[in-house]
Amino acid sequence: MENLHLFGVGVGLGLIVIGAGIGIGRLAAGAAEGIARQPEASDKIIAAVNLPLFLLEGVAILGEVFALLIVLMK
Amino acid sequence: MIAGGEQTHDSSVMDQVGDNIIHHVSNSSLDHPLIHLPLVFGIDLSVTKHVFMLWIVAIVVACAIIIPIQKYLQKNNPVPSGWMNLLEMIVKFIRDSIVKPNIGSKYTETWAPMILTFFFFILFANGIGLIPIFDLLGVLNRFIFQVPASDNHNIINALLHGGVTATGNFNVTAALAVITFFTILIAGTRAHGFINHWKNLVPPGLAWPVYIILIPIEIIGMFVKPFALTMRLAANMTGGHIAILAILSFMAIFAEMFNSATTGMGVALFSVPLATAISGLEIIVVLVQAYVFTLLSAVFIGMAINVHH
Repeated sequence: MENLHLFGVGVGLGLIVIGAGIGIGRLAAGAAEGIARQPEASDKIIAAVNLPLFLLEGVAILGEVFALLIVLMK
Repeated sequence: MIAGGEQTHDSSVMDQVGDNIIHHVSNSSLDHPLIHLPLVFGIDLSVTKHVFMLWIVAIVVACAIIIPIQKYLQKNNPVPSGWMNLLEMIVKFIRDSIVKPNIGSKYTETWAPMILTFFFFILFANGIGLIPIFDLLGVLNRFIFQVPASDNHNIINALLHGGVTATGNFNVTAALAVITFFTILIAGTRAHGFINHWKNLVPPGLAWPVYIILIPIEIIGMFVKPFALTMRLAANMTGGHIAILAILSFMAIFAEMFNSATTGMGVALFSVPLATAISGLEIIVVLVQAYVFTLLSAVFIGMAINVHH
């Protein structure tokens, strides 16, 4: 039972990937749909998508760092 | 990647791989710094490899950015050519698509230089970490000059893991984020005055119970912004390197698991192209992270200046 933390890290990493994937996928889908409807607004749409994308990515990478810390600090 | 492998002969490869990777991406230990310096007020100022990388970054930025721009500005006929074309394009991009939309045209000229400094410093610090020049020096040192890996006083051995990203160290990015933190305060103070800047943290005209919740949240948020900047940059720069090293380490792990060198070579057929592909991805990450740090700094400064309540 002493290696249970590795199980938790594995599940947690999977959840991080699922969450980040859903988030980035929804952002990309929204941006693509918006650009398809209104191609002339593509610059504004991309600028508006950038910031939440990077915030999302930051949260995901924080989760990965903490998962790594659980493995290393054990 | 090269040095740590031979330090412990009795333990198995599996035990060494993790230490080797961490040794590569982390700072050199304070027992074996590059240059020993005395304690100042109880703080060890010895030069470690990340400090050394910061010096290299400073020299490269000075040679590649500051000196050409100074020369260009002193010319009578300012028509950009060669390297200056690229610099002008980058500077114009940062000013027009990061600083101006987020900070506003009134304060663009005030804060564009700082955002540009952030961008070039982080870009070069990230990029220099990807160039394996010190690993190459280590190969030369080991196989041509025949210096053993255990020799801690050899300068190249001390530098051997030096080809790391200085921005992969949390302390470096924390220092950058602290600069952003104080810039937000100064920008808000310059735009609205000291008292008004602090009043602007919360929207006016709400019922008083809301403020009991809102004021602590805003104060926590003030510190979370630079913390998120710190973690994002450092974790991104460390994570990519760990991924590359872990994939390369599969060769050693599988070779030991099946007890044959042929298996290791077979795995190399997969892991070397994969590591190359991730290195390519890292080039994008280097550019994007420099962009993100500057963009978020500009957004936070803009939030202090353009208060939407």
